[in-house]
Amino acid sequence: MSEEAPELPDLQDRSDRSDLPEPSALAEGTGDDGGETADTTLPAAWRVHLPIFEGPLDLLLHLIKLNRVEITDIPVATICDQFHAYLGLMEELNLDIAGEYVYEAALLIHLKSKMLLPRPPRAEGEPEDDPRQELVERLLEYRRLKEVAQSFAEVDRLRLGIWTRRPQPLPAVPEDEEQQVDLGEVSLFDLMGALKQALRRYEKEHPPPLQLSLEEYSVRGQFDRLLGALDAGRPFDLISDLKHRTCRAEAIAAFLAVLELARLNLVRIHQTEAGDILLYRTTRDLADAEREAIGS
Amino acid sequence: MTERNEMEAAIEAILFVSSEPVPRTKLLELFDEGERELAAEALEAVLARYAPAEGAEGRGVLVEDVGGGVRLATRPEVVGWLRRFFDVSGGTKLSMAALETLAIIAYRQPVTGPEIQELRGVSPAGVVKTLLERRMVRIVGRKEVVGKPFLYGTTREFLVHFGLNSLKDLPPLEEFEETFGSGDASAVAGLVDLAGGPRGEEPGSSDREEEFLREVAELEER
Repeated sequence: MSEEAPELPDLQDRSDRSDLPEPSALAEGTGDDGGETADTTLPAAWRVHLPIFEGPLDLLLHLIKLNRVEITDIPVATICDQFHAYLGLMEELNLDIAGEYVYEAALLIHLKSKMLLPRPPRAEGEPEDDPRQELVERLLEYRRLKEVAQSFAEVDRLRLGIWTRRPQPLPAVPEDEEQQVDLGEVSLFDLMGALKQALRRYEKEHPPPLQLSLEEYSVRGQFDRLLGALDAGRPFDLISDLKHRTCRAEAIAAFLAVLELARLNLVRIHQTEAGDILLYRTTRDLADAEREAIGS
Repeated sequence: MTERNEMEAAIEAILFVSSEPVPRTKLLELFDEGERELAAEALEAVLARYAPAEGAEGRGVLVEDVGGGVRLATRPEVVGWLRRFFDVSGGTKLSMAALETLAIIAYRQPVTGPEIQELRGVSPAGVVKTLLERRMVRIVGRKEVVGKPFLYGTTREFLVHFGLNSLKDLPPLEEFEETFGSGDASAVAGLVDLAGGPRGEEPGSSDREEEFLREVAELEER
């Protein structure tokens, strides 16, 4: 394992990477991975100098290359420290650190600790278990795919220069008839995708109206409330009670309840000279059947 | 009995009218069964006429074998003129993230989102959406595991765009092993060759385009 101090290698040394996106491409922002794209409010100079990695594995590969070590023999402690140093740098620059990086960082610490622990002795001739094996395999696989992606990029650029005729209806098809669609390449999932997209677009263009849950106030509820509040002998100020209802609907329900109370001779209603309406509880008792008859 | 010349003319005309690659068998079925052999000869003659070979500098179109068929397409050399005439930029390059994901789907298909994430270390959700929109990949089914994730595969569009006739044309993944970073990967070369690319000129093509634009600007000044 390397003894060198865990200093951050020069991350700007990316000139050898042919796949480094051009600044213009960065500015456009593919926005597909999120996380590692620089905040647009950052000063431009910072954005230019911070290398953009396609993900934690990409960063790991880069560190391995900078340290000039073999993938199959990674100095875990060094790489782990440098990985964390890079995350620290991202944090300093106020970049969002994507969860994937944090996850990978945790894996590296786990691996580092595993490397420190003594491994169980093995039988003669049996190869020793290397805790790094899984990481090595992942990196090798990723490196291969990265290579493929680079050749794809080359071909992609080249093939953008090859154009064909734009599809157009053949002259035999009358204009008012439905155009023939080549269904050969359309799968059920394409149709589902199209439907989903249409629905999504529809939803976007027709946002659902602000939904307020309907507050319901029953006459019987108000009836019970008023009956409970009425105290024999003491006047009950109806106007003030109605003023304290939370909404029109509740006030209307309360008013109807008062009418019910009066109809059943449960209250007497007085109006003062000042205009106040006062309710007085009568001595009559409420029969259950009468209460049930009130609309809920 | 159809004359060989007539066959060639018919095939050429069909390719001219078609916007999609036409399968060879479909072209040959146009003719009577007894004439198929002659028709095959005629087809080869047409292909040779438009082959992207040396000495075809004066031509603007080529015939290529892509996506399981043959089609007429413009030569990459003239794209600058096309862009200028039609006043369009002509397509966007795929991002590196999209290309990595596409590479995984191409070689590992059918493959699920979580499997792609495992290989790339990054969630592919946004990129897969881009690739679906560009019709490079499609959903081919669902995997019978917890959550029933979608399985992705490549489309004919992918084959056509990358100049491949079938998935078998993809260089084996192992060939990409030892060439990392050397910039002279044999597998890359193979793929670019397949795509009908002018080998060797490749790295300078954008320079040539700039040069072309400069020349145009000069002409306009006069």
